[in-house]
Amino acid sequence: MLFAQILVDGVLLGGLYGLMALGMALVWGVLNIVNLAHGAFIMLGGYVVYFLFVAGLDPFAALPIAMLALFALGYVIQRGLLNLIVRSALLNTLLFTFGLNVVLTYLAQLLFSADFRTINPSYAGANVTLAGVTVPLAWLAAFLVAVLLAGLLQLLLDRSRLGRAIRATAQNLDAARLYGVDPRQIYAVTFGIGAALAGTAGGLYGLVAQITPYIGATLTAKSFVIAIIGGLENPLLVILGGIVIGLAEALASLYLGPTYSDVISFGLLVLILVLRPARSLKLA
Amino acid sequence: MSAPLLVLHGLVAGYGDVPVLHGVDLTVESGELVALVGSNGAGKTTLLRAVSRLLKSGGEIRFGGTDIAAREPEAVFGLGLVQVPEGRQLFPRMSVEENLLMGAYRRRDRAAIGASLAQSFDLFPVLAARRRQMAGSLSGGEQQMCAIARALMAAPRLLMIDEMSLGLAPIIVDRLLDVLVKIRGQGVTILLVEQDVFAALSVADRGYVLEHGRIVRAASAAELKSDPALQRAYLGAEDAP
Ligand SMILES: Nc1ncnc2c1ncn2[C@@H]1O[C@H](COP(=O)(O)OP(=O)(O)OP(=O)(O)O)[C@@H](O)[C@H]1O
Ligand SMILES: [Mg+2]
Repeated sequence: MLFAQILVDGVLLGGLYGLMALGMALVWGVLNIVNLAHGAFIMLGGYVVYFLFVAGLDPFAALPIAMLALFALGYVIQRGLLNLIVRSALLNTLLFTFGLNVVLTYLAQLLFSADFRTINPSYAGANVTLAGVTVPLAWLAAFLVAVLLAGLLQLLLDRSRLGRAIRATAQNLDAARLYGVDPRQIYAVTFGIGAALAGTAGGLYGLVAQITPYIGATLTAKSFVIAIIGGLENPLLVILGGIVIGLAEALASLYLGPTYSDVISFGLLVLILVLRPARSLKLA
Repeated sequence: MSAPLLVLHGLVAGYGDVPVLHGVDLTVESGELVALVGSNGAGKTTLLRAVSRLLKSGGEIRFGGTDIAAREPEAVFGLGLVQVPEGRQLFPRMSVEENLLMGAYRRRDRAAIGASLAQSFDLFPVLAARRRQMAGSLSGGEQQMCAIARALMAAPRLLMIDEMSLGLAPIIVDRLLDVLVKIRGQGVTILLVEQDVFAALSVADRGYVLEHGRIVRAASAAELKSDPALQRAYLGAEDAP
């Protein structure tokens, strides 16, 4: 039963990991930017939901607000700053987003303090037991939200005019411009969507783990690995990539001990960088 | 008489500090089919990229009376200046139909877009049969048809086509030339860039010859076709017709 429990935990948490990686994969695929501040966006989303929860709002009702807030932040950052360097060398955007991560982490520490925060609604401990396996309802809800958002993103990309323009820009920038697409607008909207997904993931993360200003770096690395596993073009595959990492972590903590779960994604990160450096940087 | 649709005056462009175009003058009147010919590296693609504003340039570019030299590509497209670029440049991991819909990106009237889509499939039935296939997996000829159809979905005022015949069998080239004549009959002005000089001149009203970034000849298509110097240069033999 313990084994089944571990698997269920791994899948549920993995879905949330997938949601975390979704925005990073989208931005990477379309803008060719590996956003090192992605984890900081997740962190900020967590704080938005935390403070709305403290103010009396249900965390799930707060998610759309975090989503909108982070969309606006992402849009403005891309439109105002990143658009200036988006097509320059990869190193420039890496440096920029690295710096952004430092600034956002510092601001969070200044404004929110370094205290551990948990989003703890009355139903936080609720769970159902099925065939001896305990399913925490908050985790299940987080998983379902992740799958739902990935599905919606897939629909947006596949079926809408905006989605077509986003894919066209990613596949052939010059041709997209020749056919009337304004890449600055598409980049800003895409970066906004990426940040919005990160923010939502952050709110859900606050339900299953603790939030501090420093969670960003680990989550960026995790998202990076998942984006490589899941690819950059198919949102539901990214969720699947998240589930792979969630399961790997769960199994590592079962067989190697709980302290090893974080080692997994960093281990995979190192392995990927060593074995397939070209693929990992030119995935788009 | 109305002003020409496209006027280039003293157009200069290049890459870095390597100049490619050294002051090109060229006009296209409304309703014309104009051929721009020249050997490899003459600067034909550079000229089209400058007109579409993918490439910075000096000199004057007027389209429909407006100076577009300082506009962005997406804005120029909005005026009805549409290019079928060299190498087709389709969106490879999008279906044929999605590629066509990208041509109509700036249009909002769904019914009219649907009608244009039906027209495209009428013009190129092979695309209708492959509407769900990824554009990247089409044959060369099908890709060129898809690229032309995508451009027509934009309802262009001026259609610029770069190396339409490149890599295509003669029979396909003939069919595409027929299509161009048909499109022109529907009121679309065309600037056709070709290395296949005599194919281009067989359908054009007028032609320009570009060499080393300069226009060296400008004349009616009939005159150019029977020009012995041109025959020597582009058919490469005394036994030219
Ligand atoms: N991106 C680029 N960077 C530097 N030089 C370039 C670039 N593109 C073209 N050139 C150079 O500019 C010149 C003109 O090239 P262009 O592509 O305009 O010729 P073209 O007439 O279209 O030739 P072709 O018939 O082979 O297509 C060539 O000497 C080419 O080497
Ligand atoms: Mg060319």
